[in-house]
Amino acid sequence: MKRIVLLIIILLILPGAAFGVQRFPPPEFETGHELPVTTVPNPRSEFLEYLDVVMLLVTLSLASYLALKKRSRRGLFFLGIFSLLYFGFWRKGCVCPIGAIQNMSLALFDKSYIPPITVIAFFVIPLAFTLFFGRTFCASVCPLGAIQDILLIRPLKVPSWVDNSLGVLAYLYFGAGVLFAATGSAFIICQYDPFVSFFRRSGSVSIIVIGICFLIIGMFVGRPYCRYLCPYSILLRLTSKGSKWHVSIAPGECINCRLCEDVCPFGAIRKPTQVQKDRKEGKKALTAMILLLPVLIALGALGGVSAGTPLSHVNSRVRLAERVWMEDTGKVTDTTEPSDAFRGTARPKDELYAEVVRINGKFAVGGGVFGGFVGLVIGSKLIQFSLRRRRVEYEADRSSCLSCGRCFAYCPVKKDSAIADA
Amino acid sequence: MKEEKDKLSRRDFIRSGIRGACLLGLGGVLGLFYNRARANDLVWQIDPYKCIQCGRCADNCVLEISAVKCVHNFNMCGYCRLCTGYFNPQPNALNTGAENQLCPLGAINRTFIEDPYYEYTIDESLCIGCGKCVKGCYSFGNGSLFLQVRHDRCLNCNDCSIARACPANAFKRVPYSQPYVFKEQKG
Amino acid sequence: MKLSKTNLFIGIIITVSIVAAVAIILRTAMTTDRKTTIGNVFIYDIKEFSKTDPGLIKYKETGKIKTGFQNPFAIAIDSGDRIYVAGDKSIRILDAQGRILSNIKLIESPRCLNIADDGSIYVGMKEHLEVYNSRGTRTAKWESLGQNAVITAIAVSGNDVFVADASGKIILRYDKSGKLKTNIGKRNPDKGITGFIVPSPYFDVAIASDGLLWVVNPGLHKIEAYTYDGDLQASWGETSIEIKGFSGCCNPVNIAILPDGKFVTCEKGIPRVKIYSSNGNFESVVAGAESFADTVGIYNPSAGAEDSTKALDVAVNSKGRIFILDPVEKTIRVFWLTNRRT
Repeated sequence: MKRIVLLIIILLILPGAAFGVQRFPPPEFETGHELPVTTVPNPRSEFLEYLDVVMLLVTLSLASYLALKKRSRRGLFFLGIFSLLYFGFWRKGCVCPIGAIQNMSLALFDKSYIPPITVIAFFVIPLAFTLFFGRTFCASVCPLGAIQDILLIRPLKVPSWVDNSLGVLAYLYFGAGVLFAATGSAFIICQYDPFVSFFRRSGSVSIIVIGICFLIIGMFVGRPYCRYLCPYSILLRLTSKGSKWHVSIAPGECINCRLCEDVCPFGAIRKPTQVQKDRKEGKKALTAMILLLPVLIALGALGGVSAGTPLSHVNSRVRLAERVWMEDTGKVTDTTEPSDAFRGTARPKDELYAEVVRINGKFAVGGGVFGGFVGLVIGSKLIQFSLRRRRVEYEADRSSCLSCGRCFAYCPVKKDSAIADA
Repeated sequence: MKEEKDKLSRRDFIRSGIRGACLLGLGGVLGLFYNRARANDLVWQIDPYKCIQCGRCADNCVLEISAVKCVHNFNMCGYCRLCTGYFNPQPNALNTGAENQLCPLGAINRTFIEDPYYEYTIDESLCIGCGKCVKGCYSFGNGSLFLQVRHDRCLNCNDCSIARACPANAFKRVPYSQPYVFKEQKG
Repeated sequence: MKLSKTNLFIGIIITVSIVAAVAIILRTAMTTDRKTTIGNVFIYDIKEFSKTDPGLIKYKETGKIKTGFQNPFAIAIDSGDRIYVAGDKSIRILDAQGRILSNIKLIESPRCLNIADDGSIYVGMKEHLEVYNSRGTRTAKWESLGQNAVITAIAVSGNDVFVADASGKIILRYDKSGKLKTNIGKRNPDKGITGFIVPSPYFDVAIASDGLLWVVNPGLHKIEAYTYDGDLQASWGETSIEIKGFSGCCNPVNIAILPDGKFVTCEKGIPRVKIYSSNGNFESVVAGAESFADTVGIYNPSAGAEDSTKALDVAVNSKGRIFILDPVEKTIRVFWLTNRRT
C-alpha cells in the first residue's frame, strides 16, 4: 500500500520534473493574472505520413499493372499526372526515394541517426517492385520523371557515345551523394534537386533557373535528369536487370519493323544482333577490358583517397576546425560567425579537432571507395561494349527502359494480354 | 536454335542470380534497421542554447515567410517595464510607439498587467524569425524569448536549408512526439 | 563514333558544363561561411553603445589572480584584506597577493558570501544560509527561506545579518544566531517605499561606513539606502544606455562601497564597472565593455554550469583596490587608480 502511494506521488511530481532547472521563478501577480501558455502547434499528422506510403504502394501496383498487363500508354500517362500532382505538387516532392538514399547512408554510418519507418519504406518499396516488374516506378510514380515526361514534345536522338558517357555521371552523383551523406556533411541530392523549386512554388534564383533549364532541355531530350543524373537510377538499373517480369514490346513474334526503336525517346530499345564475323578479335578485346578493370579500380581508388581532403571541406565542422586553428595560430586576424559561436560554447577545441580527424579519415576511406567505384563503373562499361549479345528481336534494354509504354501502340503485332516472357 | 535456348537459359540464370542478390541486399537493409527504425517521424528544431541569433533563419527557409518564429517562454520572463527585447536600446519613451520598438515588424504586443509588470506576446502572423528581439532579451534580460521552428508552417524538408546555413550548428532532428526544444525543459 | 566537328563541339560543351557544375556545387555547398543576407535593420547591434570614452577610465588593471574554479560565483573581502572566492562547491581564501591560504569544502554550491568582523563566514546557498568559522568548520545551518527563494547577497554588520532574497524581492534582517527579526523593503506607499523590482537573480546589498544599508533596486535602476529598521533614506540612479546611467532591464548586478563612500557598480548586458560618488553622481569608469567578453552576464546553462549566474562580482579592500571576479576568464582582476595620490 505504501509503495503504491509513493508511486502515485512520484507520478504526480514527474510532469513537473519535465521542466528542468528553473533559474528564477516568474513574479507573483497580486491580481491573480495567469501566465499564458506558449503554443506548441503539432507537425503534420503521422497518419498522413503512413498514407503517403500506402499511396506509393497503390500507384506502384497500378503502374506495374498498366505497363505489364494492360499495356496502356494512356493509363500510364494519366497515372503519371496523378503522381506529379500528389507526390510532386501536393507533398512538395519530399520525402522521395531518391533522397532516401542519403538517409540510408547516414543511418548506416552514424549510430545516432535513426531513420523513420516511412523513409525506409520509401527507399525499399520501389526497389522491391522493380525487382519483379521492372522500372515501373520511373514510368508514372516518380514526380520528377513525370514532370519531364509530360513536357517531352519533340524528342531528339542522342548519339550513343553521348548517352553512354553521360550515363556515367549518374554513378558519380550517386557515389558523391552517398559519400557526403554517410559522413554527415551534406544532402547534395536534395540540395541540387532541379524540380523541387516548382513543387514548392518557391526557391532561390539559381535552383529555379536550373530547373527551367532542365525542363527546356527536357522538351527535346527525353528525361535528362532520369537518364544522366538520377542517383536512384543506379539501384533501379541493377534491380531491373534482375527483374522477374519486364515490359516487352512485341506480344508475339517480332517482325523487325523498327517502329518501336524509332518512337522510344530514351534510346532504350536494342536491335537484334548480327552473326559475328571475328570471334578472336572480340575475345582479345574482351580479355583486354577484363584485365584493365582492376587497373581502373586501383587508379580510381588512389585518386579518390587523395581527393578525400578537398572533398571533406564540404563538411561544416571541418571548415570550422580549420578556421578556429587559423585564428588561434594568428594566420587570420578577424573571426567569423561560426568560430565566434564555437568559442561561445564550452566545447573544448581538442574535442572538435578529434572529431574532424575522424571525419577526414572517413573521407579518405570513403573517397577511396568512391574512386574505386567510379573505376569499376568505367571498366564495366568498357567490358559491356566488348561483349557480344545475341538478340533475335527488338527488345527493351532492361536497365535503361523506363516502362513508359510509348512503344506499345506502335507495335503492329497482334496484341495479347498475357505477360510476355522474359 | 539450341544455342539460343542455352543462351536464353544462361541469361535467365544470371538474371535470377541478380534478383536473388538484390533480394538479399534489400532483406539485409531491412534487417539492419529492424531494431533501429523509429516509428516516429523526425522533424527539425532549433536548440535555443546554441542559437546565436544571426538572422539566417529569416532568409534561408525555402518558404517565403520563414517557418522559424520567435517564441516566448512566459515562465522565464521578468515582465519588466523596460523589456530589452521589446524596446530599442535608446527609446524615446516607454510606450508602444513604433519608434521605440526593437522589432522591425512590430510583432511584439505589450500589455499592462499590474504595476510594475507588463506582458509581452508575439504575433506570429507578423514575426519573420530574424531574432533581433531574441538577442536583445538574451543580452540584457532573462532570455525568455527564443527562436523555434513552428511545425504548422514547416515543410519538414529532408535537408533543411536553414540547418545547412546555421553557423552555430543549432539545428537538430527531434522526434515527432516532442517537436519543440524549449528552454528550461528537460530533453 | 565519328570525330566530326559537331561531336567534338558537343563533347567540349558537356565537359565544360560538368566541370562548371561541380565547381559551383563545391563552392555553394559551403553555405555557413556566407554572410547573412538579411538587412541591417534586422540585426541587433549595440556596439556603438558599448564603446567607452578612454578619458573616463581612471583605473588600470594591475594584476590577475586565477581562481582555479570552473564556476566562480562570488567574491568578498574581510577587514584584514583577505580575499574570499566562492565557486564550484568550495570557498577559497587568498591573501592580498593572491596566494592560497585555505580551502573550505562545502556540501552545496554557494551563491554569495560575506565575512563578519570576527572572521566567521556567512555563505548563502540557493535558499538557506550556512555559517563557517575561520578554520573552515560549519558552525550553523539556518532554516530554509522557502523552496522558491533565491539568495543573492549577504551583508553583515555588528549583530545584524541582512539577506537579499531575489525571488521574494525582499531583504531579511536576521541576528547572528539566525533568528529573523524583520524585513526591509516591502512595498509600503505610506512610507514612500515602492518595493523592489527584481526580474532576474541579481539583487545586491552593501553596508556603508555610516551605517546605512544600501540596496540595489535593479528593475528601477536605483540604489536605495535604508536604515536597519526599514526606513527609506535616499536613492540615486537613472535609466540610460549612456555611460552615466544603467541600461537593460535589471542593472547594476553587484555593487561595493569604497572606503571613502564612493560606489563601485557592475553591470551586465554591456558589461562594465563604474564609480559613482557618495551621492550618486557618475564619476569614472573602472573597466569598460572592451575589457570583458561579450558573454559576461548572459544566462546560458548549456555552457556547463548547473546554474550559471555569470555576472561580474566586485569587492574592495581597505586601501581602495578593486577586485573584479570575471566569471568567463575565471579570474580575479585587480584594478587600482591610475594616478594614485598617497
